Amino acid sequence: MLDDADDKPCALSRRGFLGGASAAGAALPLVAEAATKPRTGRSVAAPDARAPAQVTLRVNGTDHPLSLDTRTTLLDALREKVGLTGSKKGCDHGQCGACTVHVDGKRVLSCLTLAVMVADKPVTTIEGLARPDGRLHPMQQAFIDRDAFQCGYCTPGQIMSAIACINEGHAKTHSDIREYMSGNLCRCAAYPNIVAAVKQARDVKEG
Amino acid sequence: MGFALHEAKTLAEATMLARDLGPDAMFIAGGTDLIIQINRRVNTPRDVIDLSRIAGLSGISHAGGVFRIGALTKHKTVETYPAFGFGTPYAGLREAARVVGGHQIRNQGTVGGNLANASPAADLIPPLLALDAELDLVGPSGTRTLPLNAFFLGPRRSVRAHDEIITEVRFRDLPPLSAIAFLKAGRRKAMEISIISVAARLTLEADGRCRDARIALGAAAPTPIRAREAEALLEGGVPDEGVVAMSARAALTSVSPIDDVRASSEYRRLLVAALVPRALKICIDRIKSARS
Repeated sequence: MLDDADDKPCALSRRGFLGGASAAGAALPLVAEAATKPRTGRSVAAPDARAPAQVTLRVNGTDHPLSLDTRTTLLDALREKVGLTGSKKGCDHGQCGACTVHVDGKRVLSCLTLAVMVADKPVTTIEGLARPDGRLHPMQQAFIDRDAFQCGYCTPGQIMSAIACINEGHAKTHSDIREYMSGNLCRCAAYPNIVAAVKQARDVKEG
Repeated sequence: MGFALHEAKTLAEATMLARDLGPDAMFIAGGTDLIIQINRRVNTPRDVIDLSRIAGLSGISHAGGVFRIGALTKHKTVETYPAFGFGTPYAGLREAARVVGGHQIRNQGTVGGNLANASPAADLIPPLLALDAELDLVGPSGTRTLPLNAFFLGPRRSVRAHDEIITEVRFRDLPPLSAIAFLKAGRRKAMEISIISVAARLTLEADGRCRDARIALGAAAPTPIRAREAEALLEGGVPDEGVVAMSARAALTSVSPIDDVRASSEYRRLLVAALVPRALKICIDRIKSARS
């Protein structure tokens, strides 16, 4: 665990937290601005490394102003600060895919992304897929219909990768799906059903 | 303790910042290596300089008989670059780019970062060595160009000074009747660190003799290396089965692999002996099929 300057446990309910966060967003100065101000070589004094960075993460369409230790990964920021625990911490070093999210529409590993480096980029997590009325994304529905998991721990990452896989145009064939889903491990080995789910969601999308 | 993050908008700004902040400052681009090192406290930089927003360092271009790969180019871009596709002489580059981490990592990690990290097992390095690539380093006092094979000093050590930035790696077009191939051995196909990797490149004469041979090995020594004895054996003769086998044995004289959790030194040597002829054979087949 990083020694965050602001290490309050996330005890709020998600709904309550999101409401509070967006209200705070209106009151606080736009902290991301300071970080993007152009600096010119020598004239810039280095900010104090001990001070937390003030960043606003845009997650699933909502702005979250956060005070973060600069070392905080996007995964830790999402789980520990924003309170979105759908993205999972499997290996925490880029070998499992459980933490996959979309940044700027591309699938990336949130455990290998510094939160402070994506402050101005839209982030989509598993929580941002369902419609406001609760209707699931076709890929989420396909994973349920096809029984594409056992323990479910890798599932959020699998689903985020699967959506990217279709968006990238790599879900045309069985072997394509297997290859382009290879950045996500499933220790329960639900792979055949995951491939079936990707095919189902692809056909829903095309149909 | 955290670090102070500095966003550089230009190369000059980044190198000046690095010079002024001193050797405790580190550059970050994709972050896929550095973040792990920071998490494990292998590196505890006081300052981190973000290069990812510097314009003009991303993308691949081909002009005047030279391919230029900008340092901020993502592995995914190399993997999907049409001129490196299967069926082209450069397919070995795609073969290497498509086994760097998983798909998500390839959307993040950069070519410059892969070189600067200087891992002996880095997948892109052997094919770039086999293509006689050179790179540009830009520092506060100017630019220097060096051949890639003069860049690496040891595991994660290179000749790059702390305030120098790799800006591009480039190589010349291959002559006709050339091909490059890349093979990697690991415990599984995807998301695996190489136990051994081999890049081979052959250029043949019209009569079938070998004009030029390159064999580059990853994870076989403290740095990615060229197997020069093996190359010399191939050049000038017809690369038939006997010559290829001799060359594979000669490649073993260049290697000094380690024992680690992934494989024993002995197993790595067996892999070199098995993969070098296989990679050469793929080159020969590719040249033949392009010819017919």
